[in-house]
Amino acid sequence: MLPDPDSQALWLTLQLALTTTGLLMLVGTPLAWWLARTKSLGRVILEPIVALPVVLPPTVLGFYLLLAMAPNGVLGQWWFSITGERLAFTFNALVIGSIFYSLPFYVQPLQVAFENIQQGLLDAAATLGAGPADRFFSVVVPLSRRGFVTAICLAFAHTVGEFGIVLMIGGNIPGETRVLSIALFDHVESLQYEAAHRLALGLLIFSFALLALVYGLNRHWQMRLAARH
Amino acid sequence: MFINAAISLTRPSGFSLEVAMAIKPRGVTALYGPSGSGKTTVLKLLAGLEDGSRGDQINISSDGNIWQDASHFVPPHKRHVGYVFQQPQLFPHLDVRGNLAYASKRAGSQPSAPLAQVCDWLGINHLLTASPAKLSGGEAQRVAIARVLLSGARCLLMDEPLGSVDHAARLQILPYLDRLRRLLDIPIVYVSHGLDEITYLADEVYMLEQGRIKAFGTVFELASSLTLNSQEGDVAAAVVEARVEHHDQAFGLTCLRLDSQSIYVSRCAQSPGTPIRLRIPARDVSLALQVPAQTSILNVLEGVISDIEPLSASPSLLVRVQVGGQYILSRITRKSLQQLELQPGKAVYVQIKTVALLSDLSQQVAISP
Repeated sequence: MLPDPDSQALWLTLQLALTTTGLLMLVGTPLAWWLARTKSLGRVILEPIVALPVVLPPTVLGFYLLLAMAPNGVLGQWWFSITGERLAFTFNALVIGSIFYSLPFYVQPLQVAFENIQQGLLDAAATLGAGPADRFFSVVVPLSRRGFVTAICLAFAHTVGEFGIVLMIGGNIPGETRVLSIALFDHVESLQYEAAHRLALGLLIFSFALLALVYGLNRHWQMRLAARH
Repeated sequence: MFINAAISLTRPSGFSLEVAMAIKPRGVTALYGPSGSGKTTVLKLLAGLEDGSRGDQINISSDGNIWQDASHFVPPHKRHVGYVFQQPQLFPHLDVRGNLAYASKRAGSQPSAPLAQVCDWLGINHLLTASPAKLSGGEAQRVAIARVLLSGARCLLMDEPLGSVDHAARLQILPYLDRLRRLLDIPIVYVSHGLDEITYLADEVYMLEQGRIKAFGTVFELASSLTLNSQEGDVAAAVVEARVEHHDQAFGLTCLRLDSQSIYVSRCAQSPGTPIRLRIPARDVSLALQVPAQTSILNVLEGVISDIEPLSASPSLLVRVQVGGQYILSRITRKSLQQLELQPGKAVYVQIKTVALLSDLSQQVAISP
C-alpha cells in the first residue's frame, strides 16, 4: 500500500507516539495529581513550565533540547554515562523531546479532571480504609475517565503530528528519526505530490477519527451520567 | 475503643483550640456548640483527616495506641474510624450496592455486621440497585451511615449528619440513629449545633465555645443546669428519662414511669419497658405547695426544690426541682417566689402542662387544654 520508506516512517511514528504516551502516563499522571492537589508554592513555577510548549515555537524548544542533548550538553552527558551511547539524532532523543513537547497536552486535561474531584470523596474513601494508592485507583481514576481519554488522545495525536522539534533534535535518518511529518515534508520538497497526498490525507483522517472517538466517548459518558440523575 | 485526646493548636486565621477529652467506649458523646467553636476540627483530628502545624500539641490515642503525637501520625485508613460527613459523600460511579461493597471489601479482619442486617437497620434494602444521584437527601445519608457500619469501624464519628437534609428527612433519620445508639457496642462521637438532636441522642456532652470546653456532663446534667439554661431564656427546658409503663387505650394516652411517679403523654408506639426521653420546657411547668385540686393538668409530680437562679434579661427566675433522681426546671416570677416562700429544700408539687417526647420529635405532645 505504502512504499517501503513511507511504511517505515509510519511504523516509526507509531512507535514514537506509543512510547511517548506510555511514558507520559507514568510521569504526567503523578505530576497532574500533584498540581491539582498541592498548596505549595512550587506550583506557581511548575505550572508555567508545563504549559510553555503550548505557546513556545517548537523550534525554540528543539534548539535548547539539541544543545542539552549534544555530547557535551547536560542531557547528552547524563545519557552517555548511563547507556554509553550518544543521544542527539537518535530515536531516544525524539522520545525525550516528545515528552517535553506533549506534556501540557497530557497534563492539563488531567489536572482539570483531578481538580474536579471533591476532597470529601477522598476523605470518605480514606476513613473507609482505602490507602493512598487504593484511593487513586478506586476513586480518582474512575471519576476522571474522561480526563484520561482526552489526555491520552491529545498526547498521542500531538506526538504523531510533531515536526519542528523532531527536525531539530532528530534530523532525518530513515528507520531512526524519519517520522511521518518529516517524510511528508520530504515528498513536498521533491515535488512528489501524490506521495505527499497519501501521507497528508492519512494523517488528516487519523486525526479526525481520533477526535471523533474522544468526543463520542465523552458524549456517551455524559449521557449515561445524565440518565443516572 | 477508648479515645483520649489532648489538643492544643493555633491556626493562621487566629483560631485556637484547647481541649482535652476522654471518649467512653460505648454510647454517644456529643460535641455541641455554635459554628466556629471547633467541634468539626476536633472530629477531623480524631479521624486523622486534619493535622496540626509546627508548634501545635496534639496527643490522640485509642486503647493506649498512639494515633498522633509529636512523632507519630497514624493515617486515617489505618484508624478504623467510621466518618459520617455532613454531605453523604457517596461515590457517584458506583450504585448503592457498590458503595456498600467498597466499605466491606476494605473491612479486612475487623468484624462488622452482615450486609443484610445493616440494610435492615437503616431501611435501605429497596435502594441497593439505585444510583446515588437518584436518592433523596435522607436516603443518601442513610446509605452513607450503612457504608460506614460495613467498613468494620470501631468508632463512629458523625459530623452534623443531619446538617444537609431538610426537616422531614431529619425526623426520618433520627429514629435510625437512636436505634444504632442502642444496638452498637462502639463509641459514637456526634457533632451538632442542634439542641434537639443532642438531647435526643447524646449520653455525654462536651459544650464547645471558641475552641474551649465550656461545660461537660451527661445530657441530663447539662439540660437541667441552671447556669446554662439561664441564658436560654424562653427555650430553657429540662430533659428527663422515663420508661413506658402501659398504654391507656380508652383515653389515647401512654403512662410513663419517672422513678416512682407517673406521667401521661399522648399514646406513643413504644412497647412497655422502653426508655424514653422527655423534654419539658421550663415555661410550661408551674409550682404549687398543695396538691392542686380539680385541675385539668394531668401531670402533677412531687419534688423538692434544689436551687434557684435568676434568668438573665428577664424578670423571671428558674427553679430546679429534684424529682426522684432527676431534675425538672420551672420558670416563675419573683412575685410567685415571694408569695409561696420558695427556697431550696422546700417540697413542692410540679405541674407540667406540656411534655415533648424526644423519641418522637415530629409530635410535640401537648397534654391538657
